[in-house]
Amino acid sequence: MRPEHIWNLTRFLLTTGALFGVWLLFSPSLEPFSLGAGLIGSVLLGALTYKEFIAQHDASLGSFMPHPQWLVVFLGVLIFYLYQSSWKMLGAILTGRANPRIVHFRTRLRSDLARMVLSNSITFTPGTITLDLNDDHLTVHWFFCNTSHAKLAGETVKGRMEQHLRKVWL
Amino acid sequence: MMLVREILALLFFASAVVFGIGGVVGLFRFPDPYSRLQAGSLAGTTAVVSVFFGALLLAPNWAIAARIIVIIVFFLISAPTGAHIVARFTWNSGLDPWRPPLQKRSGPDEDTDETERPRRRR
Amino acid sequence: MTNLLLEGMQWVLVAFSVPTLVRLLLGPTAADRLVALNILSGLALGFLVLRGVQEGRALYLDVALVYDIFGFLGFLAIARFLKDRMTDESQGGEEE
Repeated sequence: MRPEHIWNLTRFLLTTGALFGVWLLFSPSLEPFSLGAGLIGSVLLGALTYKEFIAQHDASLGSFMPHPQWLVVFLGVLIFYLYQSSWKMLGAILTGRANPRIVHFRTRLRSDLARMVLSNSITFTPGTITLDLNDDHLTVHWFFCNTSHAKLAGETVKGRMEQHLRKVWL
Repeated sequence: MMLVREILALLFFASAVVFGIGGVVGLFRFPDPYSRLQAGSLAGTTAVVSVFFGALLLAPNWAIAARIIVIIVFFLISAPTGAHIVARFTWNSGLDPWRPPLQKRSGPDEDTDETERPRRRR
Repeated sequence: MTNLLLEGMQWVLVAFSVPTLVRLLLGPTAADRLVALNILSGLALGFLVLRGVQEGRALYLDVALVYDIFGFLGFLAIARFLKDRMTDESQGGEEE
């Protein structure tokens, strides 16, 4: 077997596994018929869609398989940031003191999935919204802008989120 | 035990009320869609997540609690993506972000034109 | 006590959705309307979850989960449609 065949098989199996997991989630019965129908359906769908589910150019498993323990830590950090920035946003709404700007910066994350999660996390915390994500270039609407220095702005917006994400996804 | 859960849930619901009011006020106070989206994410995200956590604490059995956890995880994915779709739509329609009047501005005074989007050519 | 909390929170969510609806109807630009729609779908999701916990029936929560997924897809379709129409109006088939 050549390497690309092995990689195709891995992608197919991962897609099928993910689909079957979702099936188990929605039909919480463990009867043989239910399990069999779900398995057949996920194999069929997996064979049809694995090319879109995981792109060919993703180099290896490490680029999209998260480290589970750090993923849980990251979820906690995300919730903490959500509440912290919500208080700040609440103050800005009540006093009307704000300085919205659009800033551009780059990210050091390498895998597509990690970049997507970073831009989603930036949007999730109030006060910053990702307008555009282009390879490693992020365009962000930032509500409390206090600098016009792109690198500094990036460090403030991404904060420790990027460092946590680097542990989760390489 | 139930009382502790109820008090914690009350705290979460109270924060949901506070953030929701803030978001609704911001929705009417700010003049452009970007800032409204920022304020709206307070009501649409923080308040709703607080409601979910309160509901999780009050869940009567495990079947319901597990489903609420799944809903929270899906919401963590779908809410920012929805906000991003709106933001991208606004950005692509070529709208300039609102700037507060000069005396209120707390940032640097010099104009930072490189960080602004060039005017749409059309 | 639990019942009272859940019931009250449902009313609060309904109260929040009223000004959001006003913004949806007033909104000067399409983007404003989309913002309001986004918030409204979140509030509806919270309402469904509270209702499911109050009634103690897991079925409502399944409905809420499916509502979340399909509401998101519908939202994507609306944004796409508006964008297409806007680029058509500005001058037949620009970039993007």
